[in-house]
Amino acid sequence: MSYIDAGYAIALAVLAGYAGQLWQRRRRLERLAARTQPETATATAATAPVDRRVTPTLSETRVGA
Amino acid sequence: MTQPWSGRTIWIVRALAAVSVVSVAATVWLGLWVTPPDQVQRNLVRLVYVHPPIAWVALYLAFGIAAISSLLWLWPRTRSISWDRLAAASMEVGTVFTALTLVTGAIWGRPTWGVWWAWDARLTSTALLLVLQLGYLALRRIPGDPDTRARRCAIGAVFAAVDVPIVHFSVNWWRTLHQGATVLNANLSPTIHGVMAWTLLLGFVSFTLAFAWMLTVRYRIQVLSDRLEGADLDMALRERWSEGDE
Repeated sequence: MSYIDAGYAIALAVLAGYAGQLWQRRRRLERLAARTQPETATATAATAPVDRRVTPTLSETRVGA
Repeated sequence: MTQPWSGRTIWIVRALAAVSVVSVAATVWLGLWVTPPDQVQRNLVRLVYVHPPIAWVALYLAFGIAAISSLLWLWPRTRSISWDRLAAASMEVGTVFTALTLVTGAIWGRPTWGVWWAWDARLTSTALLLVLQLGYLALRRIPGDPDTRARRCAIGAVFAAVDVPIVHFSVNWWRTLHQGATVLNANLSPTIHGVMAWTLLLGFVSFTLAFAWMLTVRYRIQVLSDRLEGADLDMALRERWSEGDE
């Protein structure tokens, strides 16, 4: 393999590998975020009475006013 | 709450990826099979169609974006988490390009100078830049609240940016093995012409597009990571509260 072939092969392989890894990382995190979102919402609903006593939501403040 | 990418955004990101792949492929085709050998460098000139464009992205584009974003974060009037995320994304992608700059440069240097590496001003200052970039990425991994992390990383990026003009002007300030600028030289008169100049220009455009795609995806990763980090903290706090209620 010549120096020229090696230079092109290394540059392209590293960039393609990094691009693929970025795409995989993004997809994994998107899936994780989608899974976490409903869990977070459920957990918030479960602790909602406690939270509301401490800090009323904006809509409640408006109703109260 | 982080919304998933809209259909339009996904379309734009995919289009950017497709254009990047096509333009890089065109650069490779022109560089390897269409352009003629150089009078002095012979076929080794073909490495010039990838090495300077990669270095342009690493030094000027990626580091420039990271340094400007960090300055904008440090300035209280423009402070926003988006600048910190952009700096982090740009620095990581830039690190890959800086490493490739050194590798492709060494591959060109071995048959041209007879050595893989020389403690030349341009090479040494570029290697220092890679070390500074790795240092920045290490700083980001140190635990701490997001504000403190953003502050120390922004200061680190601005400090490291001092090396960029040193890399650029090193070939003028010191006697170096590395050749002077071909395009952005003191007279702003490129010393490359015809199909060789167009191929080099296409190389700059194609690697810039590839960088833009990588930066967009890496920025999204940063947004998602921050959100998941926050969700983990919320979950931990809720667990502690529920323990307290019991």
